[in-house]
Amino acid sequence: MTTIEYRQAPPPVDFGSLTTATGTAPPVVQGVTYERILDARSEPQNWLTYYGAYDGQRYSPLDEIDTGNVTRLTPAWVFSFSPHGLHAGQSTYAFETCPIVVDGVMYVSGWDGWVWALDGKTGQLLWQYKHAIPFDVSLCCGNVNRGVAVANGKVFVCTLNAHVVALDATNGDRIWDVTNGDVRAGESLTIAPLVVKDRVVVGSSGGEFGVRGHLDAYDMETGERVWRCYTVPKPGEPGSETWPAEGEAWARGGANCWITGTFDPETNLLYWGTGNPAPDFDGEVRPGDNLFTDSVIAVDADTGEIRWHYQCTPHDLWDYDSNMECILFEQDGRKLLAHFDKNGYCFVLDRTNGERVRIFPFVDRITWGEISPDGQVTPRIYPDKEGEEVHFYPGPAGAKEWTHAAYSPRTGLFYVPVQDTGARVARRRREFKESIPYWGAAVIVDAEDMAGSVSAFNASGEEVWRWRNDLPMCASVLATAGDLVFAGTPSGTFVALDARSGEFLWQFNCGSGHHSSPITYSVEGKQYVAVPVGWGAWVEGFLPGMMGGPHGQAMFVFSLPEDIDSAGGR
Amino acid sequence: MATLTPDRSEMLRQLGLDRQNVGMLGRLLATGNIGQAQEGPDGRMTAEIHIVPDQLIWDPSVLVLPHGGDLDIEFVNDDQNTHCALVPSNGDSQWMWLPNYSRGTMHVTLDGPGQYWFSSNIGNDEGRGLIGAIVVMGDVPASARLDRPPQPRP
Repeated sequence: MTTIEYRQAPPPVDFGSLTTATGTAPPVVQGVTYERILDARSEPQNWLTYYGAYDGQRYSPLDEIDTGNVTRLTPAWVFSFSPHGLHAGQSTYAFETCPIVVDGVMYVSGWDGWVWALDGKTGQLLWQYKHAIPFDVSLCCGNVNRGVAVANGKVFVCTLNAHVVALDATNGDRIWDVTNGDVRAGESLTIAPLVVKDRVVVGSSGGEFGVRGHLDAYDMETGERVWRCYTVPKPGEPGSETWPAEGEAWARGGANCWITGTFDPETNLLYWGTGNPAPDFDGEVRPGDNLFTDSVIAVDADTGEIRWHYQCTPHDLWDYDSNMECILFEQDGRKLLAHFDKNGYCFVLDRTNGERVRIFPFVDRITWGEISPDGQVTPRIYPDKEGEEVHFYPGPAGAKEWTHAAYSPRTGLFYVPVQDTGARVARRRREFKESIPYWGAAVIVDAEDMAGSVSAFNASGEEVWRWRNDLPMCASVLATAGDLVFAGTPSGTFVALDARSGEFLWQFNCGSGHHSSPITYSVEGKQYVAVPVGWGAWVEGFLPGMMGGPHGQAMFVFSLPEDIDSAGGR
Repeated sequence: MATLTPDRSEMLRQLGLDRQNVGMLGRLLATGNIGQAQEGPDGRMTAEIHIVPDQLIWDPSVLVLPHGGDLDIEFVNDDQNTHCALVPSNGDSQWMWLPNYSRGTMHVTLDGPGQYWFSSNIGNDEGRGLIGAIVVMGDVPASARLDRPPQPRP
């Protein structure tokens, strides 16, 4: 018998080394400080933080691309990526991110723990980081991540297995890594972090699994947790009187903070939206208003204490999270915020104290109940009797999902992606068990008789124009000083609208539906518009009629045409 | 119709699902052996995983770790064809060639708890059976757990 001689296999390598990545990026993030982020709009060539600036307006002063030339907009480059092997949410991954751009370098998070640094002018991959994600994590809404934050030479990203990671912005090397949440309890992280002062603020996901929501701040340099703010109070704490005195409903109460907040340095307050109570639809097990679920909370940036709150849907029975953005603006000398809620109403609040200024509906069909201008909430249709189905508008995805509105200080208008879709829900009680979905209902979202729009409202709540779409609008919009509004549709079309009239001006079919946040930036004086494209996530919740739509996974970047650069590359 | 059997292994054998090209074209996923990593005094873990000749299966195909952390895997290709190993790891997935009759060690870092995959990502090695699982046991650090009473689990 012949003895087989085994040889040494070639040494293992980073899988990313088998790409065209150069491995390094210029040290542009080294100089990104809190002061620069505070004044982000003074450097419009960059998109330094999630919303472009702390005020959440998603507005850029760039105006090279305008209503007169947008019809000439053309693809400048595309960065495409695809999964390898298995990953969590094999059928639900989506490209939900909002890119960050610093001096010509774009930092992008993908699904499943990916982070990429790209050349903003050419799309060249500079480096990539991959966090290994278990594929059995509990995810209500797909394998997604909404973006990174940058400062002091670092890129900060959250992972689906509830870690917060700091990377070296020049090469993607890990600097620190902390565990934020308990995956055995059903916690995860999908949020884009927010850098405020010397801290990184993140909010947890997992509201559909009956966790207790929290917001955390970490030291930017060390990863040490500075404060934690639970968004459901323990017995005896302020707000605990809105939960049953007996039992542990509070311990499973939800109120997760899974979308990035905004910040006003003058009030030193973070304005953060909180998510649904758990179980989502079975209110009988949690009588009371259930604070601080479905609320706008104002959180002291230094201590993590809740200074004031405004609850948009007390004792929620419809899954009406209030996570979506709080846009900061001024009117008649007052410091205000505008929050377009899932429940179909916009809440304009005094951001110094939470006082209600104005409430107005922004979608055609609202049947779940009514909120009067003075804030009185009257529920009308809701799952109540066990097994008895009810139908209401808006469905659980809301009249506007987490995807963001924009505000242009030039026009004084808010631009809102609207979903007009209903759902059938029957209460179905179930026992709570850690890591298992805790909805308390059977839910079927309408796949017919739906509509969408980008709707423009002034600060008084008057609709100024509406651009209609056959399908609900499920992606963030972008406003620019070129008096343009950019928005992506579920079918894949990226459109440009006249910000003053809503007139349709330009479109490009990106080949997959949009469920992300587009941005704009410039390099060497040339303006680019970037939009992550990749349908997926909680499609059964916000647009089941497009469950079969192609996922896609690409960053599309557009600019005005110029002479073609024929330089080669790797 | 028999839908349940007290002896799963015997049923798989009878139906030819635990070998290549008998009951189906390849081999039913996750029908291989289960192994446990060895833990050193410093907490670093080691394991040895083979590719079984003509069976396109990792042995073990399910590797169990007592906790997250650093793991050294020695891959041994006993097969008469070339394969490779792609394994998730924090920072970047690790990849190596595994020519016929070769062996090599790969270092990976994984968080716990949770289940990860590994595979040979050439041809349709994955579909035929060369896809396995690394299962990490344990809990997250106490500092990352929710401030609430212990809750029931399934």
